[in-house]
Amino acid sequence: MTERLIVIGGGGAGISAATTAKRVDPDLKVSLYTEFEDIAYSPCGIPFVYGGEIPRFEDLFLSTVDRYVSDGLDMRMETVVTDVDLDRGTITARNQHEGFDKLIVCTGFVWEQPDVPGANLEGLHYVKNIRKAMEFDKVLESVKTVAVVGATPLGVEMAGNLGHRGLEVHFIDEGPWVLHEVLDPDVAEPVHESLTKRGVTLHLGTAVHGFVGDERVRAVATSGGEIACDVVIVCLHKVPNTALATAAGLAVGTTGGLVVDDHMRTGAEGVWAAGDVIEVPHGLTMIPIRGLTGSHAYAQGRTAGANAAGDDRTYDPVWVPWGLVAGDYTIGGFSLGETLAGAMGMPYVLAKGVGVSRARYFPGATRTHVKLLAEPGTLKLIGGQVHGGEGVKERCDFLAFAAKRGATLEDFAWMENIYSPPIGALFEPIAIAAQNGLAELRKQAAAAPSPAPSAVPA
Amino acid sequence: MSRLAAERARLREQAEHHLRIAAMEDLRRRHSQGTYAPYKPRGGWFWRLVFVPLYRRVPWEAKQKAMRAMRMTAEGNGWTPPARTPGEPWRPPQP
Repeated sequence: MTERLIVIGGGGAGISAATTAKRVDPDLKVSLYTEFEDIAYSPCGIPFVYGGEIPRFEDLFLSTVDRYVSDGLDMRMETVVTDVDLDRGTITARNQHEGFDKLIVCTGFVWEQPDVPGANLEGLHYVKNIRKAMEFDKVLESVKTVAVVGATPLGVEMAGNLGHRGLEVHFIDEGPWVLHEVLDPDVAEPVHESLTKRGVTLHLGTAVHGFVGDERVRAVATSGGEIACDVVIVCLHKVPNTALATAAGLAVGTTGGLVVDDHMRTGAEGVWAAGDVIEVPHGLTMIPIRGLTGSHAYAQGRTAGANAAGDDRTYDPVWVPWGLVAGDYTIGGFSLGETLAGAMGMPYVLAKGVGVSRARYFPGATRTHVKLLAEPGTLKLIGGQVHGGEGVKERCDFLAFAAKRGATLEDFAWMENIYSPPIGALFEPIAIAAQNGLAELRKQAAAAPSPAPSAVPA
Repeated sequence: MSRLAAERARLREQAEHHLRIAAMEDLRRRHSQGTYAPYKPRGGWFWRLVFVPLYRRVPWEAKQKAMRAMRMTAEGNGWTPPARTPGEPWRPPQP
């Protein structure tokens, strides 16, 4: 008899889980349930349509429902799953019970909502569903002033793009610099400059106390006074959408995400989970984290789908390479920066350097700043941040992979690199940073001889 | 979410929040240019005056051991810490 796999959720994790499972076991009946009308689009591209860099929302679609149907998937669009009964092996949707042999939970996230008066006023917008984003784009045509609340990655992209669109943007966050939960202040400084150049007014170190208006928002009440606005875009944290799973009895961890093992198995037999609804361990500390990127969700979905179809694939603890364009400036990193290492009390040595992205004389060359954090003693890489123009993403991907394999500052100081004037300079910025870091350690060791290089006090 | 799970999540969130604010204040002393004083809500004195200084006195190795003992890391949930050594070269699967 044909086994049936049900996947709940049509985001990156759900789609990759369903398609991978079908590919691994073509005889498996795979049904995918999503509450939305659309599938396989890139919500991460929405700020760039608002900013005019991408001309149309339609460009964000990567595939169609028909294509998945032709690949053999049973697509249940606009169908909300309201209950999961693990004992009976059924889900409930549209008041109908449907049986499953295997289940993958990919219910994603919901946005954190501000817990302040006025949070239910009209004019507060959350970025997720593409159809709502299309409607909101028309609203943006008629407004002049926008408040963006939350200096998260989405908030930074949104503020920069709305500034590019020519709107007056007020960017509000409690932290001392943008992206303060991951970014270090030396990297944030050029981001502040770039956003300001785009017409964004920064209100950092500023708490939101409420939203002001009768039915529709007209101002944000903050610790720094009222800020008048026509609309608000809320860009706070992602919260795992675990309601369905926890009601079914699945366990959550200390991040609020579902607990899974390295095969994406939950604690229940025949049930997997993937994407923004789960937590996974950080590769350096093994502490569970969540709220990662779309590429993490996609890879987790592939692992869950393959294993549900009978394969045996493991998912590694994560080193979280990340990057984004903030205004006209590119920033990125992986694992930890000084802020997180300092907060955790983890000792580290620093290696910093500046190079160029192409031959210095070649048009378009930009400065590339590299900061590496290494474990005292072994000098194994534990984190880093990179900023500048081109090549930030590739360097962060490479550094995350190298750190996962235990590469040291010595390795990077003597690394090989491509030299080709249009695409790479003679001296690789990563190698420059590592060489500077080693030189500094030698200087410290000469000044105060000790068996191991001293660590920056955390 | 069970009450115990919710409480563990709340404690982690509070601890991380106050440790991060303290770390950001340290970094601001070195990079005052282009940064702002973080907003500090009222309350949280236990975390600021007791937890953060105590946490900072404990060496990182001891913290790691304590976190493992308190099952705050993922080893008990079917995860293996990475070896952090160069891996074996890929080989095609045997038929």
